[in-house]
Amino acid sequence: MRGASTGIVYGGLKYQARCIADVKADTDHTSFLAGTLSLKEENEVHLIRLSPPGSELVCEGLFYHPNEIWDLKSCPFNPRIFSTVFTLGETYGASVWQIPELNGQSNAPQLEQLVSLNEHSFKIKCVLWWPSGKYDKLISIDEGNLFLWSIDASNKMAKVISQESVGMLHNLSGGAWDPHDRNAVAGICDSSLEFWDLRTMKKTSSIEQAHARDVEYNPKKQHLLVTAEDVSGIRLWDLRRPKFPVKELPGHAHWTWVIRHNPEYNELILSAGTDSTVNLWLAHPPGADDSISESPVDSPKRPKDSLLNSYTDYEDSVYGLAWSTREPSVFASLSYDGRVVVESVKSYIRK
Amino acid sequence: MDEKAKRTRELLASFYSTDPSAGGGAGVGSAASPRKMASPDSINSPSFDPDVYMSLLVQKLNLEGLLQKHVEMAAEIKNLDTDLQMLVYENYNKFINATDTIKRMKNNIVGMEANMEQLLAKITSVQSKSDLVNTSLFEKREHIEKLHRTRNLLRKVQFIYDLPTRLAKCIKAEAYADAVRFFIGSKPIFEAYGDSSFQDCKRASEEAIDLVIKNLQAKIYSDSEPIEARAEAVVLLKQLNFPVDSLKTKLLEKLEDYLMTLQDEHKETGASALDTLETSEPSDIGKLSDTILSLKTPTGTHMVSVGEVSKIIRAYLIIFPDSERRLIELIQELFTKRYGIIERRVKERMTSADILKMIRVIWEDVTLMDEVLAEAALPAFSLEAARSIIRQFISTSFSHLLLEVSEALAKSQPMPKKGSEESSLQNALEGSKKVVIQGSLDLLLEFRQLLDDNLELLAKLRDLIVDWVQEGFQGFFQKLDELFLALCGRGYIANPDSSVIDAIQVDKVQTGLVLVLAQLSVFIEQIAIPKIMEEIAASFSGGGARGYEHGPAFVPGEICRIFRSAGERFLLLYINMKTQKISILLKKRFTTPNWIKHKEPREVHMFVDLLLQELEAVGIEVRQILPQGLVRRHRHSDSTGSTNSSRSNPTREDKLTRTNTQRVRSQFLESHLAKLFEQKMEIFTKVQYTQESVISTVIKFCLKSLQEFVRLQTFNRSGFQQIQLDIEFLKNPLKEFVDDDAAIDFLLKEVIGAAHERCLDPIPLEAPILDKLISTKISKSREENQSSSLA
Repeated sequence: MRGASTGIVYGGLKYQARCIADVKADTDHTSFLAGTLSLKEENEVHLIRLSPPGSELVCEGLFYHPNEIWDLKSCPFNPRIFSTVFTLGETYGASVWQIPELNGQSNAPQLEQLVSLNEHSFKIKCVLWWPSGKYDKLISIDEGNLFLWSIDASNKMAKVISQESVGMLHNLSGGAWDPHDRNAVAGICDSSLEFWDLRTMKKTSSIEQAHARDVEYNPKKQHLLVTAEDVSGIRLWDLRRPKFPVKELPGHAHWTWVIRHNPEYNELILSAGTDSTVNLWLAHPPGADDSISESPVDSPKRPKDSLLNSYTDYEDSVYGLAWSTREPSVFASLSYDGRVVVESVKSYIRK
Repeated sequence: MDEKAKRTRELLASFYSTDPSAGGGAGVGSAASPRKMASPDSINSPSFDPDVYMSLLVQKLNLEGLLQKHVEMAAEIKNLDTDLQMLVYENYNKFINATDTIKRMKNNIVGMEANMEQLLAKITSVQSKSDLVNTSLFEKREHIEKLHRTRNLLRKVQFIYDLPTRLAKCIKAEAYADAVRFFIGSKPIFEAYGDSSFQDCKRASEEAIDLVIKNLQAKIYSDSEPIEARAEAVVLLKQLNFPVDSLKTKLLEKLEDYLMTLQDEHKETGASALDTLETSEPSDIGKLSDTILSLKTPTGTHMVSVGEVSKIIRAYLIIFPDSERRLIELIQELFTKRYGIIERRVKERMTSADILKMIRVIWEDVTLMDEVLAEAALPAFSLEAARSIIRQFISTSFSHLLLEVSEALAKSQPMPKKGSEESSLQNALEGSKKVVIQGSLDLLLEFRQLLDDNLELLAKLRDLIVDWVQEGFQGFFQKLDELFLALCGRGYIANPDSSVIDAIQVDKVQTGLVLVLAQLSVFIEQIAIPKIMEEIAASFSGGGARGYEHGPAFVPGEICRIFRSAGERFLLLYINMKTQKISILLKKRFTTPNWIKHKEPREVHMFVDLLLQELEAVGIEVRQILPQGLVRRHRHSDSTGSTNSSRSNPTREDKLTRTNTQRVRSQFLESHLAKLFEQKMEIFTKVQYTQESVISTVIKFCLKSLQEFVRLQTFNRSGFQQIQLDIEFLKNPLKEFVDDDAAIDFLLKEVIGAAHERCLDPIPLEAPILDKLISTKISKSREENQSSSLA
């Protein structure tokens, strides 16, 4: 099984890890940020760079992070800024960090904490940046609330603009910010997906019967999103018709943990799961024309939708997955044992 | 030689010809000019110039040549001279002959003149004598002619006076044709003198003719008369300028009424047949077809049969040749209605024997009619009708079968009491299996009857029937697959328009039913399809009316593929539904307490009871439906393989440890490498259709989920110990479900390992305390069992 490996492995993470993020704002290099999850040891954030010929993964920077990292997002417009969600025992927090100037010395300089998002009273789940450009606002989601922050990086200030509580009955576990609409955000509740308008902080709609673990908007087409679910695998939705999924893909043998659209070829979908595999799917989103006229009868039967490849060269559950925005044919995956694997999907991209 | 002969001929021709230039024979004017231009050495041309010729010769030839030419020329001249002499002699000879002939003619004519004069004198005398005779006989002849004319006139008058009596006689003798002929003969006279001299006579004969017309009409209307006589009567009436068309329409109306009663009877018999079908036993179907066969009205006052109708139509055709179109319309209407009745009946469930009987009855009538009215194209019409009837029949048969299958499956839905619950799944499975295979075979048998029937009509449809049956099976199984999906709550994809199916949500679906469907799919794929394929190959091969490019309509391979994947999907769905249920249980267990402030474990947590209960439920369902694994212990070899691999890992670890100085990291790698192979081999193997496989897959999935839930938490020492205790307790009960001890051990160890990793202070419970807590739990649950069984 290992012999079939085609990926480039980075073994620099010493501990277990869940989070990896593409440094979207770095236009010169294909780089990723990965954060470790170690309860007892000192945690690290690694800035990993794919060397120019694309044959090697290099640790470009290693920074100590005070606590174990449960969520890590890179700022989409500044390569040196990222956010983390962390816990230490009972305490939890979310911060925005700035990578200090490296100046050649790569050995563990301190991260500069820009702001700390200190308003949470529940366990924080994730921090969201608006994916499509420069926007000085952040969303943070904890188990019971949704916060919209205004960030002033230069003054190291963060201010809550608005807050919405989902109530005691629901339990938020994650979310996604619509890349086509700054005011739309999706949150994963226990058994549904909820959608909010950030201007009014009111729910706009919801998708019932979705036990999602992860959700992502289609980066190219508005109204479309994809969810990863324990039972139903992967489901594609059209928000204009939230009653039934547009498409279903089988997902993984165990839970499907994370799902990502390719930033360039939005029909390529990557999923990773607790069965220690990463699957590459080809799932054509319904076009603008046939999404309404065409009945959903034949869409799941379209022979084009298929599992393109299954990467099985993992030793533990894969929780972290990130496409490179700079090189859309490359993705990085992070399994729980701390191994970062970068694979190329060039052969599956149809011109 | 040739040239010489030619020259001779030309010379002769010029001799006889008046036009000297025509001597060449070929072109006259146009040929002359080229000849002028011709070479000067051509001696025959009219423009021959001897001087030029000579000078040419002298120039061209040497002395010897000239001498030779001279000899040639001398000979030629001599020849020409002889020819000339011959011609002159011949002409002279001819001239002499002509003179002789003229002389002889002169002598003959001299005697003839005297004879002519004699002849003239004789003829003149003959003429004078004949004139004499003629004048003497003229008077008498005139008289005779006058007398003759009078006599003829008298005879006519006599005839007209006799006409009434004659007509009366004809009427008496029923010789209407003669009567009509007489009457028509005397018609011009009546027209000319009817108002004056022959008034009485005319009235009398017209009365007689009225009688004739009346009689003729009666004759036409009476069905007992022979057709020929009736046709003749029509012709006669036509001759009498009687309005025949009105007669015709009247007659046709009569026929229409007649047919209407026939149809009403059909409707009655059809309706009564339906009644009998609904109310009575199937044995009455024979009776029903009898009634259809005989087409008798229940009252029996007048016999109405298609045979008679055909006779009537034949008569009408002869009587009124121009009424064909209307008759065709009538007959087509009749048969359309009759086929309509069958078509309505086909919508109910009926056997092919019934259909055959009905079609045969109609076909007999059709052939009868066709003999009479070939232009109505009844066979083609019937073919079309039979086509749609049989097509409808086949498709309704299949939809009934589909309904039956879904009914059989529905039996598993209600779960009334605990006692019957045990077997209800099994019953549903067996029932639906039987329905699928028996129903399909029965249908094939029915359709075979259609094929085996020797009715000409059906023989033409043979290929089509084969195709329809094949198509029917193809469609049936595809629909069956859709039905299965719908029953699982996934049907909304297949049937977005059906609101009923929309209502079935995933969480409302009975898990047992999913299992039944999985097993049923396997059954269809492995047993039903091959059997049906065999049957089809035996008796429904051929077809091909669809055209070869489409291939056969029934593609068993495709169906098998559909059901194989459906079976796997249902099995996975079942496992997923079960694990989901347990997953929710586990999620509640792990998200509710505050693990960091957990108190010391006092007893095994109650969630294990719930977990075991769920697994027990899975066991009950699975044991009803799925077979036991053939090799009961085969999974052991797998697990020993995996333990081997984990045992072999230390060497790997050593290697890695050497390269790594950090102890923490080596420990970390150690634990992960150790489980590497086992995880992949044990948890995510392909599920088989056996009890063991399904249960163990469910358990493995649950333990894997348990591990994942643990990984999401952070524990204090007590929390870790609680997990340790629960897992330790689970060890034995789980092994009762699955004989794959090693896999369970491994996964449980994984869970404890995960808890260990996520614990701030991982100090395990001491073994004696662990044992004590577990044994109290076991005795407690035993007590509960006893008390519940006592109650």
